[in-house]
Amino acid sequence: MRRVLAIARKEFLHITRDRRLLGVILVMPLIQLFLYSYALSFDVKHLPTAALDLDHTQQSRMYINALEQSNYFTVNRVLDNYSEVDDVFESNTDRVVVVVGRGFGRDSSGGGAGEVQVLVDGSDANSAQLAQTYAGALSRLYGANIVIQQYEAKGFNTSAIGGLSANVRTWYNPEGKSASYFVPGLIVVLVTMVTVLQTANTLVREKENGTYEQLIVSPIRRIELMVGKIAPWALIGALDIIIISLIGILVFRIPFRGSVVLLALASLLYVICTLGLGLIVSARASSVDTANQLAALVSFLPTFMLSGFIFPLSSLPIALQALSYLYPARYFMVCTRTIFLKGGGMSVLWPQIAALTIFAVLITVLAASIYRERA
Amino acid sequence: MTLAASDSEVAIDVRGISKEFRSVVAVDDVSLTIPRGEVFGLVGPDGAGKSTLIRMLTTVLLPTSGDAFVFGKSVLSEAHEVKPRIGYMSQQFSLYGDLTVAENLNFFAELRGVPRADLAARTKRLLEFSGLTEFAKRQAQFLSGGMKQKLALAATLISEPDLLFLDEPTTGVDPVSRREFWRIISDLHRQGITVFVATPYMDEADRCNEIAFMTQGRIILRDTPAGMKRRVPGRVIEVAVRDFRAAMPVVRSLPFVTSVEVSGELLRVLVEACSEEQECERELTDALDEAGFPVEYLRPASTDLEMAFATLIPSAGGLVGTADEQILAVPE
Repeated sequence: MRRVLAIARKEFLHITRDRRLLGVILVMPLIQLFLYSYALSFDVKHLPTAALDLDHTQQSRMYINALEQSNYFTVNRVLDNYSEVDDVFESNTDRVVVVVGRGFGRDSSGGGAGEVQVLVDGSDANSAQLAQTYAGALSRLYGANIVIQQYEAKGFNTSAIGGLSANVRTWYNPEGKSASYFVPGLIVVLVTMVTVLQTANTLVREKENGTYEQLIVSPIRRIELMVGKIAPWALIGALDIIIISLIGILVFRIPFRGSVVLLALASLLYVICTLGLGLIVSARASSVDTANQLAALVSFLPTFMLSGFIFPLSSLPIALQALSYLYPARYFMVCTRTIFLKGGGMSVLWPQIAALTIFAVLITVLAASIYRERA
Repeated sequence: MTLAASDSEVAIDVRGISKEFRSVVAVDDVSLTIPRGEVFGLVGPDGAGKSTLIRMLTTVLLPTSGDAFVFGKSVLSEAHEVKPRIGYMSQQFSLYGDLTVAENLNFFAELRGVPRADLAARTKRLLEFSGLTEFAKRQAQFLSGGMKQKLALAATLISEPDLLFLDEPTTGVDPVSRREFWRIISDLHRQGITVFVATPYMDEADRCNEIAFMTQGRIILRDTPAGMKRRVPGRVIEVAVRDFRAAMPVVRSLPFVTSVEVSGELLRVLVEACSEEQECERELTDALDEAGFPVEYLRPASTDLEMAFATLIPSAGGLVGTADEQILAVPE
């Protein structure tokens, strides 16, 4: 026990002496948090829009006005003819151009269907798709209103007309806020990066510095060395989880509906997995550089690609989907999102917790067996 | 079986130990017994296998074959009983550069289970002993080369080992610090600690009770320093001559000269027994005069280990020098 504490205390000294490392541990998560939550925003509001009104009627102006009222589009300028559309997209000032065709007013007020054209800049695929959806939905709604108005003008009691309305609502994240989606995911990504990368470094660095031989010559047992090495990083991992959660809740106003204890349990299991992975990398890598690259390979890529952080897992190719089951991040990702946003408890998360437990045990056993070997 | 009686006498008992790295045989069937309380020097050129041997004896490396017993305990099967009794100072600086002198000492004390009650006193004594008291709060990476080595030694001594392995402890250390370092080793020797030191420097080997010459993974010779020197056939003449480096080929070409080396500004010439008294001296003087190198003076001298190493192990000739020479030598 004394030897474990000696190693752990020494690791803490290393951390406090290395300003750059402190920055990586404490500041990097914050930067990433703000970066992802603001810059990588999937919220589409106030899309810069240009309008080309070829009709110049009261109806066409009302339609454009309705677009702007929706808050999804901001009409920055009104164009005079078609040739200006290219300029708009090329100069990257506006992402959407709404063209109200000639005869819109006449057709929509009777005798035909008024036509509107929505041109979208596809080079930003995400906002393009959303703009398309919004513009489509808004136009249908607008069209329906026109019909209703016309019926009413002709003396029908519109409230007596039946119909169908699909009432789509997004649960757990009704406003579609990116932060609600990202912060729980970011916990997974950042904790993985910090813990895997740093533990991967720790042992290789001792080997490169020649201090590892001194550890071997001392009476310390491998398992004591292992525990002493990862204990500080387990604490730092926990600290990172707490910091990100608090900022998510307090600054980004994301909900926390589940159980703190369950989150702590899932985090503990997951951090055991990542620390174990880091140790395995560290035991096997021949240099600090290799360790860093290997660690990035086993932490950064899988947590980004195979956890559902950015891409929904169901949209991945089958082979990658299968691969994602072999990496613990996907289970922890489900846990954080469910606990934060849905408030789900053990009754729904037990498969994930079970999977994380199995991974934690397997990785620990593997790491311990690698450590028992002598160099 | 090692007998209990010999346990107390024998510090290290190496039995046919070998280590292969892929196809390279670094240590080739070495056997060696070293009594307790000795300062034992392992001498040989770089790549002779000295470090590999030490790393096997300190349980860092597993031997490919053979075994070694440290105080009667096998480094293979009883490594955990060997470790508490030894200290090992590797060739590379092996402490934490970002930790202070005191933190380094404290870490190794905790790691090796030094009783808490003794810790403060031991740390204080070792800091004084190594002259590092005033640097206790300095980070190890900001110490000079000599101070680093003394700190490394202090860190290995904090657990009061009975046997100390030192792998080229003074490589890259200035001559004053080297002398200081060896003063400390002499002190340890007087306290009864067994020291096993690998060194490429002959002047350091001269300070050991016994030395072994190692080359190409094998131990070729083992003797006391004086015994090694006695094994060298012939005698040594020191020649003072201006432009001594240019004169070396002239001396070397003489039939009765076995070897020539530079020591300071003198040439040390090993000659076979000449038929008449002073005949070698005369022929040396004549040959040098003829070649345009007037001799200032000539004097008989004793053989040294460097010469012994160069002549007794022909394949290693010229690979070894004294540290002073390496530091002071003018590039040719």
